[in-house]
This record gives sequence, C-alpha cells and structure tokens, in this order.
Amino acid sequence: MARTVLVTGGSGYFGSILTGLALDRGDRVRVLDLNPPGDRADELEYVAGDVRDLDTMRSACEGIDVVLNNVAQVPLAKDRELFWSVNVTGTANVLLAARDTGVGKVVHTSSSAIFGIPETNPVTEETPGRPLEAYGKAKLEAEFLCRDAADAGLDVSIVRPRTILGHGRLGIIAVLFEFVAEGAPVYVLGGGDNVYQFVHANDLAHASLRAADREKPATYNIGATEFGTMRETLQALVDHAGTGSRVRSLPTGPARAAMRAVAEMGAAPFAPYHWLVYGESLWFDTSKAQEELGWQPRHSNASAVIESYEWFLANRSTLGAGDRSHHQSPVKLGLLKLLKRLP
Amino acid sequence: MNEQEPSTVPTSPPAASAVVTGAAGWLGQNLVRRLARSRDRVRCLVVSDDEASALAVVSPVIETVVGDVRDPATVDRLFDGVGAAAVFHAAAVIHPRTSTREFFDVNVGGTQMVIDRARRSGATRFVHVSSNSPFGVNPSPDHVFTEDSPYDPYMGYGQSKLEAEQLVRKTHERGDIPTVMVRAPWFYGPYQPPRQSQFFSAIRKGRFPLVGDGTQRRSMAYTDNLVQGLLRAEVSEKAPGNAYWVADAEPYELREILDTVRLALEDEGLTVSGPKPRIPRVAARMAERADALLQSRGRYLQALHVLGELNHTIACDISRARDELGYEPTVGLREGMRASIRWCLDHGERI
Repeated sequence: MARTVLVTGGSGYFGSILTGLALDRGDRVRVLDLNPPGDRADELEYVAGDVRDLDTMRSACEGIDVVLNNVAQVPLAKDRELFWSVNVTGTANVLLAARDTGVGKVVHTSSSAIFGIPETNPVTEETPGRPLEAYGKAKLEAEFLCRDAADAGLDVSIVRPRTILGHGRLGIIAVLFEFVAEGAPVYVLGGGDNVYQFVHANDLAHASLRAADREKPATYNIGATEFGTMRETLQALVDHAGTGSRVRSLPTGPARAAMRAVAEMGAAPFAPYHWLVYGESLWFDTSKAQEELGWQPRHSNASAVIESYEWFLANRSTLGAGDRSHHQSPVKLGLLKLLKRLP
Repeated sequence: MNEQEPSTVPTSPPAASAVVTGAAGWLGQNLVRRLARSRDRVRCLVVSDDEASALAVVSPVIETVVGDVRDPATVDRLFDGVGAAAVFHAAAVIHPRTSTREFFDVNVGGTQMVIDRARRSGATRFVHVSSNSPFGVNPSPDHVFTEDSPYDPYMGYGQSKLEAEQLVRKTHERGDIPTVMVRAPWFYGPYQPPRQSQFFSAIRKGRFPLVGDGTQRRSMAYTDNLVQGLLRAEVSEKAPGNAYWVADAEPYELREILDTVRLALEDEGLTVSGPKPRIPRVAARMAERADALLQSRGRYLQALHVLGELNHTIACDISRARDELGYEPTVGLREGMRASIRWCLDHGERI
C-alpha cells in the first residue's frame, strides 16, 4: 500500500538516505528542510521550511500518512538556544501538526546522546536517560514530548541510533578519514579498549521504516550487532586503507582537556559530546528491534566505517561545495593538522 | 466529581472549561496536566512560543495563549470565547531578576487584569494561588498560622501577594465572581525550575546550611497535594469568599527536611557526601537585614533572601482546608522528594 511520507530534515545526511529508501519501496515522499534535497529531487515533493514554525509544519503535514522526524541540531552546532528551539520546540511542533492533521504514525529519530556515559552496558530501552551536555539534554526532552503526545493519543515511536556511519557521512568522521587517507596516525583515548558501537545509515533507515509500519507507540535502540572496541574498529579501517596509517593511544585526561581547549578556542571541530564519549563504552542491546520489527542490520562496525571511508575517498575532491548540513560537510581541521605531523 | 476521592464536603460540578495563568510554571504544569484529563478545554497563558508548543503536546484540550499577564491585549486573548470557566491564577514572580518592581507589576497588576477579564467573560470561580508571605513568619517555633492570622508581609514579595489577596477579596465582596484563595507555602515536586536541582545538589554535596539547631519548622506542599487543594477549591460549596492554607499534613522541622532529602537522594541511588554545614542564626539574621535593605532600594538577591528566610518558622494549620474543602494530602515528604529528585534526574538535570 503506497503511503505518503513526510521526512523532516530530509535533505540532511541521514534524512536523504531515509528518503531514498522510502522512495525505493514505493512511498510518495515529501521533504521538509531548510535546504533543497540533493539527489532524487525530481521524484519527491520539497517544502522549504523550518520546524520551529508551527504553521509551516501544519501545512507540511496535510495529506500525510507517516511523519519521519529527522530534524536535529547536531552536536557540531554549539549554540545552546538553537539546540533547544530546533530539537525540543521543533519536535513539539511536528507532534502538534501531526496530531492536528490526523497523521497516522510518527517516527522520531532520537540519539544515544540521551544516555551520556552509561553506568553499565548494554543500554536497553528501559535504561533511563542521563545526558551530560546540552545536545543530549535537548534530545531527551524531545523524547518526553513524544511520550506526552503518545499519552494524548498520537501514535509516535522513537528510534535511537548509535553513532551513524555510511556513504556520505562526513562531519566529525571526516577528520578521521582525512588522517587515514594521508597515512597519518589516528588516535584513540587511553587504550581504545572502550566498546563503541556504530550503526550504518541504511540499517537505521530500515529500522525507521519498519517502526513506521508497526502500530502503537514504541521505542527502539538501534546499532550494529557486530561491533567491538574503538581500537578494533579503527584497526580494521587502517588495515583496509593500507596507507601506513596506524592506531595510536592518547592519554584520556590530557587528550580530553586538549579537545575541549582547542574547541573552545574555535580551533578544532569538536563539541562537548565528542570529547565526553569518544573514549567511553556505549552499546545498545538491539534485541527488541530485532524481535518486534524483524529488523536485522547488514553492516558491522568495520564494514560501515570502511564503506564510509571508500565514499570519502571517491568524493574527496568535490567535498565542501554547496550549502549542506553539518553531517554532509567536511569540518575544518584547524589545529588538528598539527596532529598529522607527529612522528 | 471524577478527579478526586469522594469527599463528604458538599460540592458543585467542576466547570467544563478552565483558564490557567502561569501554566508552564512549576505549579502550572502539574495543574494543567491534571485538568487536561477531565476538562473539555484548558486555556493556558504562557510566556513563550517554546512553552506553548511543549504544553499543547500534552493534550488536544490544551489551548495556549502566549504573552505577558501585564499586557491587556494578551489577557483579552486569554479569555476570548471561553465563557463560563473556572480560573486558576498561578502566574506570579517569586524571584525577580533584578528589581522588586516586578513583584508589584506582575503579582498585583497582573492579578487585577486577570480578575477583570475573568469577570467580564463570566467565570464560574476564581481560584487564586497565594502564599505564606503576606503573613510573614511565626512568632515562635511552635506557632502555626490559621486562616485568622493577621497580615504581616515578609518583604516585597509578601507585600505584593498581600495586595493581590485584597484585590481578590474585594472581587468576591462585590459579587463579581466567587473567589477562593489557596495559600501555599514552599512547594516541591515535578516540573521544577533549575533552582530546585541546585537545592538538591547543595544538600547532596554538603553545601546547604542548617541554620541554628534546625528546629525551626516549615510547612511544605508537594505539588500533587497542592493541585488537589486547588481543584477542591473550585468545587467546594463552602469555599467561596474564603482563603485556605494548603500544605502537607504537618509542618516539618528544617533539620528533618534536610535529613529527609538526604535519604531521598540515597533512595534514588545518589551518594550523599560531604559535611552537614551549620551556620549560626546571627548569620541568617544578617542576611535578612541585608535583603531588607536591598529590597528597600528595589534590589533583589535570591541567595540572601533564601538564607534570611531559613532562620524562621513558617508553619500553617491545614484543618480548615480539610473541613471545608475536603482536602487530604496523600503524599508525604520522603515520597514527594523522591519523585522530585527522580524528575530532575530523568530530565537530565545534574544533582
């Protein structure tokens, strides 16, 4: 049955992948975004707009069966008020517009940032949120709004991704790829033996669409099922790349302090979320999504990072053009260039 | 009545529509969420678009009006087309940002504005959220305020809430709207502002001082208890024209409050460390004098104000609310503080 799907943030990194998959399976797709969609624009309807504007959202939701809410102000944007207005008020507006226009299902993309650094792993759907910084706090508040809306009768489900990888993913990850491509060392904090889970964007998109197909509000934690430590993942990447790049350890405390310092100087592309979690273990138990949605990830940590890297290599020369979202643009390395020169 | 346990007190049915000012505030959120379960329409005054969207998500019966209670056009919109509604006036400034002028503009001027529009739109009842502050502090640690206690306002806030009470009383006496005043002391519970996480954090880390020997007593009100009092004030047939103290069952000694918060923090899995600092009463008296001096010049410092007040017993007797409203508090200090702490943690507040 063909449905009409509204993808908010559908021109962004994950949004455009989700949009593509929805089109592939025969959905009619409307994209609401500040920026026009990059590819397959002729196959979908584009609405230029901002989730912070309730009237815009109401008209965007007219005639829509399913809303996939992917608008987010990600950690790379460091403006606290912007975090709140986009991630919290924007979500409230999406929920209100969906309710007022009779949308049948909303799937809200949350974040593992709501868990900060968990006391124990794996993190399940029952683990309480304990965010450590402004981004995680705003995403957690958005989840509370989803629950309020569900209590008031809207069918809204929540999908929480681990760190997203896949073709087209840039943002903070591009820093890593840049180093690997040039044969410079890449760094882990401490021994890099923290268990860190990624998720491939395609796997996440499949989970979102399956969540959209399932009636009744639910929450799903989504991540790769084959994963390991940060060091193992990066080792798999440098082995694959064969550029002579090696995985090196940095002492956690000083490295974190340095990341914070250079970020606060505006000299490197880090946000609090990055220096807090890069050296910490965080992994989801994804069995609920597997059981209830019949979802199965195709990518491991290693295959996801390798595919992202290959895409980066293939597209390196044309990156940085155009008005794209944070996760679709390479960040400026700034002072991090110095790290590349270390022997 | 479908909102509370059956009561022996004679009641009329609640209004189908409600108007709430201060709707996105600490008490307002608790009240609005409860009202939304049983009313056809809950019209809410909030101060920002952010608050409006977040509150409206809670229920389709919630309608929001964004603006300032001091602004006539805003209050016109608040009452536009609501007709015979119960009005819960919870908007007030308790800790002004800089100047004590805000106390009078908002707490007195705003109350007059809301009363006027409520009367013209045919409100069924005006439930006014008042405070202990018009009554100052008890003369001795074993004294409790009753509804017959004389006014003796505590500084700027107390004076402004006193003047608001006088406006409400005149409204009733003129026969404009049946009014009920609910006097709430220090309250606690979910949807609290960040200053409450700081309160918990200070106790957890041993930075919240016990003034003197801590035997001074304070009445406190858990927000659910207070909401019950407000809802009963709307429907009790004996209530119009009266004021009621609404609080937890009994006043607590200050040392008991701090000890209970420590226990509640531990109940919620937080380690409580650090010393239990004490400061002599004379220090609190100095803070109080400095606060009074500043306020006489229109200035306000929250820390000074709170420290000065901690020295005193502020306790009330809820017997009349029990008898005439059918009010019966259901949540006690430890359970309420646990819920309050859990809410902070669940919302990513650091304690």
